[in-house]
Amino acid sequence: MEPIRTRWRMLTGGLSGLILGVAGGIVGIALLAGGASGGAGDGGTSYIMAGHLPPLLTVAGQDVTIRYAIVCPPPGGDVSSGEPCDGGGDVYIRSGHTGGFERLSLTRGAGSAAGRYFVDVPASIAADPRGFSYYAVLRDRDHGTELTVPAGGADAPQQSFPLRDPVTVALGAHSFGATRTADARVADAPWGDGVGQAGLLGGPTSMRIGPSSFDVSRDGTVALLDEMNDRVERWRGGALVGSVPVEVAAATSDFAVGAGGTMYVIDGRSAAGDTPLLRTFAPDGLLVRARHIAERTWSQLRIGPRGPIVQQEPSEQWMPATDGAAPLDRAAQARAGSPGRPLADGSQLVVLRSGVGEVRLARIAGGAVRASWRVLSATPLGEVQLADATGDRVVLVVKAYTDTQDEFVVLVLDGRRLVQRFSVPSDQWAEAAPLAHFRLVGSSLYKLGSTPAGAFVDRYDLGGAR
Amino acid sequence: MKPLAAFLATFVVALALTGVTGARTHTFQSANCNTATPQPTAGMTRDGQMNYAIIAAWDGYQWGGGCWNNDDHDAAPNDPPQQYTGGEGGDCSGFTFKTWREAQDTANGGRYYWAPLRNVHGPYTAEAFKNAAGAPNGTIYKPNADAMDGFASTWHVGLVFFRGSGGWDQIIEAKCEACGTNLFDESYRSQSAFGGIRRIGWTG
Repeated sequence: MEPIRTRWRMLTGGLSGLILGVAGGIVGIALLAGGASGGAGDGGTSYIMAGHLPPLLTVAGQDVTIRYAIVCPPPGGDVSSGEPCDGGGDVYIRSGHTGGFERLSLTRGAGSAAGRYFVDVPASIAADPRGFSYYAVLRDRDHGTELTVPAGGADAPQQSFPLRDPVTVALGAHSFGATRTADARVADAPWGDGVGQAGLLGGPTSMRIGPSSFDVSRDGTVALLDEMNDRVERWRGGALVGSVPVEVAAATSDFAVGAGGTMYVIDGRSAAGDTPLLRTFAPDGLLVRARHIAERTWSQLRIGPRGPIVQQEPSEQWMPATDGAAPLDRAAQARAGSPGRPLADGSQLVVLRSGVGEVRLARIAGGAVRASWRVLSATPLGEVQLADATGDRVVLVVKAYTDTQDEFVVLVLDGRRLVQRFSVPSDQWAEAAPLAHFRLVGSSLYKLGSTPAGAFVDRYDLGGAR
Repeated sequence: MKPLAAFLATFVVALALTGVTGARTHTFQSANCNTATPQPTAGMTRDGQMNYAIIAAWDGYQWGGGCWNNDDHDAAPNDPPQQYTGGEGGDCSGFTFKTWREAQDTANGGRYYWAPLRNVHGPYTAEAFKNAAGAPNGTIYKPNADAMDGFASTWHVGLVFFRGSGGWDQIIEAKCEACGTNLFDESYRSQSAFGGIRRIGWTG
């Protein structure tokens, strides 16, 4: 009997081990999965976000309504209801750009297509010849969270300027197909990962992304951000002259080259739960620094008078990332926000795409409008790709579009009139960063484009600036 | 000692084999997502759905996918493009389908809440949205597109979160594997490859 009992015990022990082992393996996998799953997935945590389209530039007689979208968890956290959160807040506003603010409470509207919460600006403020400035404190009344827009609050409020006597340019209906030929192709990179090629991501059923941005130096050297191949390629006179490795995401990042060849890349993805990173690279591609920008979303990166500047939302302001060589933390960036892009002479260019077919543009200096323009088009206008100064002129590049056609319109303006106008093909076969298609260097305009064959940069000479 | 040795030996072998097998077949989708019945809802406001959409931010992108968990982390990054691997996140059309509270039945224009962890892509591709396929979907004149309207091409679709001051749009979208799902500024409105699209039946 003893051998049978022993065999039975061994069988029992082995079977127990098998069952518990399988169970242990399943539990282990389940625990690993649970560790990855995190939150409840129903938006239980508290947060508040906003959308706001500031009336940066107004025209005579314009009624001004300031609107906000407030995005936060619905009461009780029940996302399934489809109902909005219980928002509210106040706008602090003043005539002109100095002095104390007056508080106006936001009204909650029935619809939310353009922002549910609004306030009508009193006519005495809206019509002030100096313009007005304001910021908002938005609230999730159910959870007690608050958000200040712009992020700098009273230190860097949003500003609105009146256009008293703008140069008005009536474009009429856009004539598609009459585009100007480029003066030179200064970079030409077929798709691929070899020398002189450019990487392409995506395909027929997903986003196609090519080189997402570029910049041009004073000497005409084109630096192309080939993020799919983790490099920056440098071209001069249509020939590749070098390449340096950079570690960046395979996403649509924006890119700018500063003094001495220092390179800046703003990330086309967001660090988990945080704002995007602005990375600084030495000319040889060595990562020098990576710091978060102030806000959640960016539209463009450029070089300003004191280093890289980033236009950000929801503030809809340009914010400096550095003060010379010194990086700024997020609060300092927000406190230095401005409605226009800062220029080297201390002025700033403020841009507003208004209605269906209008662009308003103003050069602001000393807190007042020094020159202004209204561009009116019978064809819908899309994004302003570029607004920049060259000498005493301003170059504006804006997209004209219909459901089936689109082209970029280039306008050269001075203080009295439209000096030059032409169109260029959009050439957006692959995606790039949203406002990274043009750069102005001196009197040359450069365009980043793409076709099924590859990516390229074309140069258009605008003639002498005065 | 022999029965104990037999127990330990089979336990270790079974544990290892189960773990390895499980790890091989385990995906974010298989471990976390469900097939719960969607919940019909009377209301569907644009800002309510902006809130729903933003929950998916930072939770990744998965081609062909439609399940995420709101932990602001992509549990399955670096998937190969245009391949379904069971990772976390929606793709552009799956994300739009869930955010727009649509039904699997294309003839049904009703509103249905799909919890983030409900794994569903829906019947529409980006191109189908562009062509306004299905009862809940329509087109819109692009200059008039507002919050939670969208822009679709044959390869991508994204939803307007808010307009930008320079004529671009803040778009909430499941964009690409490295980009993830998030708010991005885009110029889709002016690109002729993209058409304006809308969900029929907003209640506010």
